[in-house]
Amino acid sequence: MELQIDRISKTFKNNGRPHPVLQDVSLTVGGGAFVTLLGPSGCGKTTLLNIIGGFLEATSGEVRLNGAVVKRPGPERGFVFQDYALFPWMTVRENILYPLKQQRWSNAERAQRLAQLLSMAHLEGKEHLYPSQMSGGMKQRVAVIRALAPMPKVLLMDEPLGALDQHLRQSLQEELESLWETDGTTVLMVTHDVDEAVFLSDRVIVMSTDPGNIAGDISIRLPRKRDRNGTAYHAYKDQLTRLVHSSGDFPGTARMASAR
Amino acid sequence: MLKRFDWMKMIYPLVTTGVFIGIWQMASGVYNSDLLMPPPVKTVSALWRAVQDWSVLTNLLLTLKRVLTGFGIACIIGLPLGFAMGASRAVFQLFDPLISSVRQVPMMAWVPLTIFWFGLGDGPTLFLIAMVGIFPLILNTIAGVRAISPTYYHAARSMGAGPWSIFAHIIVPAALPDILTGMRLAMGLGWMSVICAEFIATSAGFGFAMVEAQTRMETDSLLALMIMGASVGYGIDKTLRLIESGLTRWRHAA
Repeated sequence: MELQIDRISKTFKNNGRPHPVLQDVSLTVGGGAFVTLLGPSGCGKTTLLNIIGGFLEATSGEVRLNGAVVKRPGPERGFVFQDYALFPWMTVRENILYPLKQQRWSNAERAQRLAQLLSMAHLEGKEHLYPSQMSGGMKQRVAVIRALAPMPKVLLMDEPLGALDQHLRQSLQEELESLWETDGTTVLMVTHDVDEAVFLSDRVIVMSTDPGNIAGDISIRLPRKRDRNGTAYHAYKDQLTRLVHSSGDFPGTARMASAR
Repeated sequence: MLKRFDWMKMIYPLVTTGVFIGIWQMASGVYNSDLLMPPPVKTVSALWRAVQDWSVLTNLLLTLKRVLTGFGIACIIGLPLGFAMGASRAVFQLFDPLISSVRQVPMMAWVPLTIFWFGLGDGPTLFLIAMVGIFPLILNTIAGVRAISPTYYHAARSMGAGPWSIFAHIIVPAALPDILTGMRLAMGLGWMSVICAEFIATSAGFGFAMVEAQTRMETDSLLALMIMGASVGYGIDKTLRLIESGLTRWRHAA
């Protein structure tokens, strides 16, 4: 599996004036790796993910999946949304089965996949709950296994843990890691949290702002079940933090200073 | 705490009803005329007679049938139009001027024209019920469709859903609460205006039965019929509410 992002540029109109958000971004991910797009808000990382997902059209450039150009959303690219986008009128079970019905899986295959996913996410017995009956952490796990259900070639996640508090976030990072290890899909995740990026990623792509581009591509070579207190872990965090800060105006630094 | 609350819920309406009946009784004593203000007891016995009277019940059923038919017509035209207008700017702009202006015609103003068109009988009443019902249906369906978060569409498309599946599994259930509100409004308005139409344009039905009671100067029967009308309207709304909470269980599930 290979997802190729080839010289993607995106320009929005801002009060009639063109505002480039992404400029010539090229990137290749694949091989079951967990890859993170890290950057300050406004660096266009979500825009890039939406272009890969097919929800937004690039001004120029191409996204290719195993060599074939993709332009529209499709089940071979699973997507986890920031606000989960679980269908509130469907139970956990119906939400997870929805993509499988669209792919015309047989009833037996559906039942088998459902059981497998529920056990992967430790959600056995919860399949009849509606989203309104679930905690934020549960919704998040359902959103991930729903996206994984039709066995996508790549899983795209837009700040999947962004809506959760710090404590829950860390335990769900571990959940996410074990889901990914069981499933084996290539993951491309957007986050602004340096610790999350170091904990989860094989590779961290740091993005810069104005216009968005790749400022660094760092491989995290640490054995898994990573120790958040290890020295090497902290060295990576420091390296990435410096890279993020030097690559964009952060609120409180450059932008504020220039405003004064 | 809970038990005490339930008691209060029982007692307050009883107090209100009691006071109301007391004032009614006094007023009927003051007027001392069965034509102007029959006392509660007389009205209740007229009500008792009315619910056992086959001609009253047949008229009531006829009227209910008209309301349901007119409501059905309103749904058949209003729902597809509402979905199309909610989903597409172009369709909205095509129909909105027509709908916004026709809506302003006072409903009863249609009656003379519809008597020309359909003659006396079912035609004018059905037209009127469909006409009053169609606007809340269209407007609520548009609002329901417009309120759907774009991420639901994105999610469905990323799972490989086609247009039909998006309509049936995303748009319809997401807009359903608003559509059901529109349906309740349409039914209520239909039930209220059908009586009026029957005063004028028919020779049968619940409204016609009221005109008959008036010409016979049976004020107690008239009041009894009004009470029946209110109860039936209440019953219709209650039924629709039950259907609503059954169909949108996911909203209240806890």
